[in-house]
Parts: sequence; C-alpha cells; structure tokens
Amino acid sequence: MAQRTSTNDPSLLLLISLASGPKHGHAMLLDVADFAGVRLGPGTLYGALSRLEEEGQVEGLPVDGRRRPYRITPRGRQLLARRLGGLDRAVRTGLERVGA
Amino acid sequence: MSERAGRLSRLLLLCYPRSWRRRYGDELLGLLVDTHLTPRSALDVAAAGIRQRLHAAGLSVSGGIAVTIGPAWRHPTAFALVAAVILLPTFVFVGASMLAYELDLGPVRALVEPTMEALANWRVIDLLLVAAPPLAAIAAVAPLVRVGIGRRTGTLEAVVTIRALALNLFVAFVALILAGMLIWHIVVESVLQAGA
Repeated sequence: MAQRTSTNDPSLLLLISLASGPKHGHAMLLDVADFAGVRLGPGTLYGALSRLEEEGQVEGLPVDGRRRPYRITPRGRQLLARRLGGLDRAVRTGLERVGA
Repeated sequence: MSERAGRLSRLLLLCYPRSWRRRYGDELLGLLVDTHLTPRSALDVAAAGIRQRLHAAGLSVSGGIAVTIGPAWRHPTAFALVAAVILLPTFVFVGASMLAYELDLGPVRALVEPTMEALANWRVIDLLLVAAPPLAAIAAVAPLVRVGIGRRTGTLEAVVTIRALALNLFVAFVALILAGMLIWHIVVESVLQAGA
C-alpha cells in the first residue's frame, strides 16, 4: 500500500508520470503512488492537471471510453527537465552535507 | 459506484466553477468511480473545487487560508427587494407625515395623527421604523461587495471587488435619505424639547 505523504507540488509529480507516456487520471494516481509513495486525491490531481493544461504543459487526447488520456507537451518536458535539474543540484548538495 | 455515492459525487462537482465542470466534470466523475468515493477523497474534491473557484476569480491558492466573503453576491435583486420591503413601512410613514404636516393635507393628517398617538404607546414599533432605513441600506449594499483572501505569488492577499447595480444603489440611496430625515427630525425635536 502506498505511504500517505503530503506534497506541495502535485504538478511536478504528474509531469514526471506523464514523461513515461500518456496516461489517464487513474493510471497517473497509481503511477505517482508507485514511484513517489504519494497518494494524490482525485480533486488535487484534476486541479493540477487543469492548470498544467492551461499553461500548455500537458494536453488531453481523444476520450477513450469514459477516460481521457493526457500527454506531456514539448514545453512541459522542457520545463520539467529544468525543474528536475534544479532539484538534482539541491539533492546532491544536501546528500554531500549530511555525508550520505 | 452506488447511486448514493453518484449523487454525492455530482453534488461535490458543484464546488467547481461551471466552465471547469463542463471541461473536466465527466472525467473527474469517472475517476471517482475508478477510485471509489471515500470521506478523504470527498474532502479533497471539495477543497480542490473551492481552490478552482478562487483561481478562476484571479486568486491562485496553495496552502494557507482561502476564503471568499460575499454571501449576498449571487442574489443582488433578492437582497434589493428584501431591503425595499424592510424600508416600506418607514417610507409610508415618513411620506404620510410630510403630506400631513409639511403640505398640511387635512385628510392625511386625520389618518396620521391617531397613528402617531398610538405609536407613542408602542415604542418598539417606533424604534423599528427608525432602525429600518440603516438595515435596508446594509441589505441593499451587501451584494455589491465581495472580499477574497488567498495566496498569490506566495503572499497572502485580500482582493476587494465592488460593483454598481442600479436597483441596489437606488434602494440604498432612498434608505439613506430616509435615515437622514429621521435623524434630522429626532435632533430638531430634541432641541425644541430642550429649549422648552
């Protein structure tokens, strides 16, 4: 069972999830729980997804049954790479400082 | 999903702005079917809906307090009508008094004088007639102001929205004129009594 952890940045988690390929809402929830141990609520997920779509970082694909898959756009991929690069530097610095 | 959970899910969707519901409502309902509606997910959906409404109103909220104060905002005409009803007895009374004493109309005076004498024994009604104009003014103006509190660029901000609606402004204006007339009347009466 996924560990209950809070996060202030569900949009980052969704972009990471979509970076591996298009997914619909439920698949994104399961993927995020799997790789980050974070259980996003359905309202949080769609709130972040609608903002990312508004900003042109993800786009909806044609509806498949009652589910709509989403995919990351080139702009979303570029912004994700930039954000992860910043995080990577912070994580490496932090690990060095704690001697891990 | 049970019928009850389906109804609750559709109710929760009302927390979102209409335009958002049109675009994502069916998808979110589908996701609630897949994940099953729990108290935790219901709370999450409701909170996200309120955040979405604030976002649509120009406030982007992440964490912290998020409130909109404007309970009368959506029903301006109803509030104007309620204000008019509150104001009506005072309006009739002041109007009749002016016709009777300022224009010296005998028939109106014959109606007003017994009422004035009766009111001398019913101070509560007298007080309500005086309190009605300020109450009516507040009721008429309430739907014209809305305050939103949320976070934008990381800092907590309050956004005050004011609008002008002719009917509400007219009722508030009449109420304030009546309040002014009553205050003037009370002051003049007090001065005359003090002088006597």
